[in-house]
Amino acid sequence: MVSLRGVHVVYDGHAALDGFDLDVFAGEHVALVGPSGAGKTTALRLCSASVAATAGAVSVLGRDLGRASPSELHDVRRRVGTIHQQLDLIGPLRVVHNVNAGHLGSWSRFRALRSLLRPVGLEQARDALARVGIADKLLERTDRLSGGEQQRVALARVLVQGPDLILADEPVSSLDPARAEEVMDLLAEVVVDRHRTLLVSLHDFALARRRCDRIVGVRGGRVAFDLPADEVTDDLGHDLYRIEAGSRP
Amino acid sequence: MTTTTTHDLTDLTRHEVGLLGGEPAGRWGRRRRRRSGPSVRRRWALVGVVAVGWSLWSAGVGRSSLVNPGGWTLVARFWAAAASPELSPGFLATAGRAALTTVAFAVLGTALSVAVGLVGGVLTSETWWRRARAGRRRLRPGWFVGRAAWGVPRGIHEAVWALFLVNVLGRDPLVGVLAIAIPFGAITAKVYAELIDEAAREPFDAVRAAGAGRVSALAYAVLPATLPDMVSYAFYRLECSLRSAVILGMIGAGGLGAELNLAFQGLSYRRMWTLIYALIAVSALADLWGSGLRRRGSHGRVGLSALAGLALVTVSWVHLRPDLGRLFGAPTRTLLVDVATAAWPPTLPADGWGGLVRRSLETVQMSLLAIALASTLAVVAAFAAARGGTTWPRRAVAGAARSTLLVTRAVPPPVWALLLLFVLFPGPLPGAVALGVYNFGILGRLMAEVVENLDPRPAASLHALGAPGLTVFSYATVPLAGARFAAYGLYRWEVAARETVVVGVVGAGGLGRLLEQQRTAFDYPGMLATVLALVAVSIAVDLVSASARRSLR
Repeated sequence: MVSLRGVHVVYDGHAALDGFDLDVFAGEHVALVGPSGAGKTTALRLCSASVAATAGAVSVLGRDLGRASPSELHDVRRRVGTIHQQLDLIGPLRVVHNVNAGHLGSWSRFRALRSLLRPVGLEQARDALARVGIADKLLERTDRLSGGEQQRVALARVLVQGPDLILADEPVSSLDPARAEEVMDLLAEVVVDRHRTLLVSLHDFALARRRCDRIVGVRGGRVAFDLPADEVTDDLGHDLYRIEAGSRP
Repeated sequence: MTTTTTHDLTDLTRHEVGLLGGEPAGRWGRRRRRRSGPSVRRRWALVGVVAVGWSLWSAGVGRSSLVNPGGWTLVARFWAAAASPELSPGFLATAGRAALTTVAFAVLGTALSVAVGLVGGVLTSETWWRRARAGRRRLRPGWFVGRAAWGVPRGIHEAVWALFLVNVLGRDPLVGVLAIAIPFGAITAKVYAELIDEAAREPFDAVRAAGAGRVSALAYAVLPATLPDMVSYAFYRLECSLRSAVILGMIGAGGLGAELNLAFQGLSYRRMWTLIYALIAVSALADLWGSGLRRRGSHGRVGLSALAGLALVTVSWVHLRPDLGRLFGAPTRTLLVDVATAAWPPTLPADGWGGLVRRSLETVQMSLLAIALASTLAVVAAFAAARGGTTWPRRAVAGAARSTLLVTRAVPPPVWALLLLFVLFPGPLPGAVALGVYNFGILGRLMAEVVENLDPRPAASLHALGAPGLTVFSYATVPLAGARFAAYGLYRWEVAARETVVVGVVGAGGLGRLLEQQRTAFDYPGMLATVLALVAVSIAVDLVSASARRSLR
């Protein structure tokens, strides 16, 4: 599904990824853990073709992104769903449009514009919202929902998109532990019953161990360890988050 | 130590625009019934379209010939002169002196507005009137009285204040300064009061609980947090004052406005362009100073700016030499009584109530047309002018759009109106178009800032799932920017309704034209009636605009 080989990404002279290797196979649930600034977000953005590698090979869904044509890139983007923090929703739009945004990779421009005036695919949107437990919010303004509800809208958007690979960038970092657990439950449900592949970045070590098959520790733009979830120990976690003298957090 | 103030114009004007603060200022009251939502917004949009259509029809668009084809050569000559402004040393000296006069009016007017705003803002802040004991929310009556009192001076345009003051104080620079300071002081006080009330309460309550008086508690616990915003707002007001000072200059205060008038009467377009460039330079300097302070406002720079500001006030004072004695002199008191007795009771114009109502409606229509034109152009220009382009054609377009906006807002509306009268037959339409062009410059700049400050993440997430550019634009950019654009349009509509006076003065119709006719006939009772009608129009427009803006929240 995903294969990163010796990837370097440099932003403004600062290396976000520095020789990064990762393989994710179909149906796997993989967690990226590590301190802020370790490169987790950059790794996810590589997979959604939102940033390009400075050096190294990136292959997603069997396509080499470095050599893909624009239409091939479009195809990859359409088949990769990203759950951001709720900040990436469009606040002033109604919930139904934010859910329907999952279709935008495949809808024609005309259909997309028409849907803004009179929502298309109401039933599918309502089903998706029902699965994440907020069917009644279909026509609310998105920025009037609570943080947890907005995160559910983001999940519903991915449900509607129906991607083969789901990327989630710290999907629960702004929620309290109880809400975080609920959203992770939903995420797991969504992924598991469609046999999809999940690559998620998490801060919460315990959550990662409970929810994922494999845990990849990231530190300083490199992979620190890559182990099955049941072989990861607390010590490894402590090492990963240890603040070294002189290192930037 | 460095403090970075991230607040920019869109943040600061939110207190005037009343959109971004979340809850309205009235935290003390019961919650109003929510009047927003898509259906309410759609209804407002329909009302707007119908109103603009009605205004167009009344202005005679599509019914009679409006364009005077013979005038185009004059317009072409005016624009051609842009490339060759008059640069003879004699005229440059004149332009320099005129620019100094305009700047001096603006600086003194702003300084006084800020002083009024600071004292008035503190006295009308909720924080000031709250009882010392924490937890009690009851307010003293002074707060209500103070808040209500700011509405009236704001409802009257600077030019009308000048007209009144010149009758009381005689011809003195004091008139121009006060004409700017009275309405601007009121709006500054309102904004400062809201800034103070927005600051965290805990530090203030803690200092008060420790036994400090209200003044020292404010100085220690509230002002340090609000000062950067207050300074930035003062600069925004300085830019507004500059534009006002030019308009006041055209009606007698001297400076660039007066020179523009003279040059126009002599049809010396090259001189006009010299003056326009001087105006652009002066407003650009104020803009640079203000935005530099907003973006990189370290303590050192703020201190330096304060010193420079003080020096500027001194120079302006020496240059204008306003006669403060007139304020309290006996002649002023006599003149005030004279004006009051001459004007009272107000009388209707020759055509009675019908005439007054018709002209009031005409004023509203002019402002509607102006703002419809201004917002339509501004929305396009905002996307073109927004910074952040990476390719050179994109940057070239942005540069061109920015200079267009700069020129359109630097030339005062009466000059636009006079130019338009070359090609449009007299009536409300040239006045409306003049106001529209001028407000386009202001709105385009505000909207460009909205575009620059848009959160990029929603659009990026749509892009990441493969949505094409146009779709991303209509799903992310339009909804995010739309409400703010509409709020700014409505805010400028209120201002435009007041500004119809200044294009009315050059014969463009509405209440402004009536006022000018009455002024030349020394018809004081008639003028009073017209001013009252202007205040009524202004209040009505404010109310409609405020309730439309509520639907945007």
